Amino acid sequence: MRVLVIDPDPARAALVAEGLAGVQPLEVRRAAVFDEREAADFAPDVVVVAADSPDRDTLESLREAGQHNPRPVVMFVDRSEPGLAEQAVRAGVAAYVVDGLTPSRVRSILDVAISRFALTQQLRGDLAKAKADLESRKIVERAKGLLMKERGLDEDGAYRLLRKLAMDRGKPIGTVAADLLAFAGVLKGDAS
Amino acid sequence: MSGLADLTLGFIPLTDCAPLVVAKAQGFFAEEGLEVALSREASWATIRDKVGVGALDGAHMLAPMALAAESMLVPLALNQNGSAITVGVKLAALLREADPEAMAAPLVTAQALATVVERRRGQGAPPLTFAVVFPHSMHNYFLRYWLGQAGIDPDRDVRLVVIPPPRMVELLGSGEIDGFCVGAPWNAVAVDEDLGEVLIKASQFWPGGPDKVFGVTAAWADRHGDELRAALRALIRASAWADEPGNHAELVALLSRPDHVGVEAEVVARALKAEIVFHRDAAGLPRREHALWFLSQMARWGQVGPDADLSAVADRVYRPDLFREAALSLGPVLEPAQVFADAAPPASALFDGKAFDPADARGYAASFAIGRTS
Repeated sequence: MRVLVIDPDPARAALVAEGLAGVQPLEVRRAAVFDEREAADFAPDVVVVAADSPDRDTLESLREAGQHNPRPVVMFVDRSEPGLAEQAVRAGVAAYVVDGLTPSRVRSILDVAISRFALTQQLRGDLAKAKADLESRKIVERAKGLLMKERGLDEDGAYRLLRKLAMDRGKPIGTVAADLLAFAGVLKGDAS
Repeated sequence: MSGLADLTLGFIPLTDCAPLVVAKAQGFFAEEGLEVALSREASWATIRDKVGVGALDGAHMLAPMALAAESMLVPLALNQNGSAITVGVKLAALLREADPEAMAAPLVTAQALATVVERRRGQGAPPLTFAVVFPHSMHNYFLRYWLGQAGIDPDRDVRLVVIPPPRMVELLGSGEIDGFCVGAPWNAVAVDEDLGEVLIKASQFWPGGPDKVFGVTAAWADRHGDELRAALRALIRASAWADEPGNHAELVALLSRPDHVGVEAEVVARALKAEIVFHRDAAGLPRREHALWFLSQMARWGQVGPDADLSAVADRVYRPDLFREAALSLGPVLEPAQVFADAAPPASALFDGKAFDPADARGYAASFAIGRTS
């Protein structure tokens, strides 16, 4: 397991390492401040950060940017603020741990955070794919309509033509349909 | 004694937290019957989360962050101006060498940058790195707009990162980043330490343009109408106090304290004098057209989807009516003409003169050569 601990104080990293003793292979790296490139090189399985760290905004922006390589973030608050945990989890933090960190809890907290993060990523991916599929279906419908009108084809014929174009070019049918609509737009004089 | 609840308000160590700090230090909150504790926070995400769950009653906020949150209200704008785009001295020298004419006029400095970006691409050099403070921030849209206007695609031609304001100058000095867009006093700090050079200030980018706001949740405002009105009155008085040149020495001393901004008084003073407006010209009025401009940029860069109703979001979050009610009750602190300033023709245009019609924020968002609207 690779763990990146962002904390100016070495104590928390030591605590994390102690709690993970026995996990093999294990690499716990501590950085006083978060550095995107350093983190990308290290490719941690999980990032541990204190809730009062100014680096929260940086970590959140990585998630926002739909970072190619997002990581679960575990955040610690030392004093309890009711409800803050839920809010942070909604904002994309994988786990929020109130009342600090003890070595005996480290292992289970990180394990839960990593698996919950994987699940969220999968749901997010499924949702994006569902949206893309729907979008692609709409585009195919519009391209079919265009072919029916311009080429005098029936619906089935228009679809077969699109599918043939896609197969000939080795591209998804949605892409071919989008290209067709774009070209039709240019021919009609749409600025683009 | 007054029956009002005690409040805890959050702020980030930046010059534009002044109205909160002044309202407490000058006793304006106390005169309204409010016992207020100020809580200095380390990140905007923490501010949003804490206000969201009621750990803070209200806070100094980034306007677009309030617009992007689930249930925030903006009853008061805290300031105009203060932010700027600064580049490291090394990049500044390169820009001057590439296009001395563009560098002589703040409004077209980005053209020199475009030349350098193009040249670096030809040489196969890695893209320049620029930092902003938060994805939903005026700084992010200011930098992106300025780059885009010169034909530089902020997502493809440069690398954009998010860095907490107090670390910007250090990273500029070490060469980790080549430039940044951040609020006062950090641009002045970079210049003071001979590490950076300001290319364009917010007041040049958009004269009278918006910056930070005071935000609370809608649910809190519902339950605490009296406290909100009292807090707004104190903050408006504090803003007027902060604009008074005669109070500047005291304001600078207050802001430079380690528990507030924690930067040398001289540097705070410079940024303050040159730029920031808290109160005059109806700076406190949360203008609908400002909300819609932010939302247009959120749409332009793909932060809000095509289905969101931008006008509805602006009307739900920005509440000039709450500002008006508090401001009018203060009497001579603010003239009614100022309180209703948004009934006048829209505020001035951005530096490039491109017209913005608040009634067509989507059309505006889609009208830029560079953007992520489709």
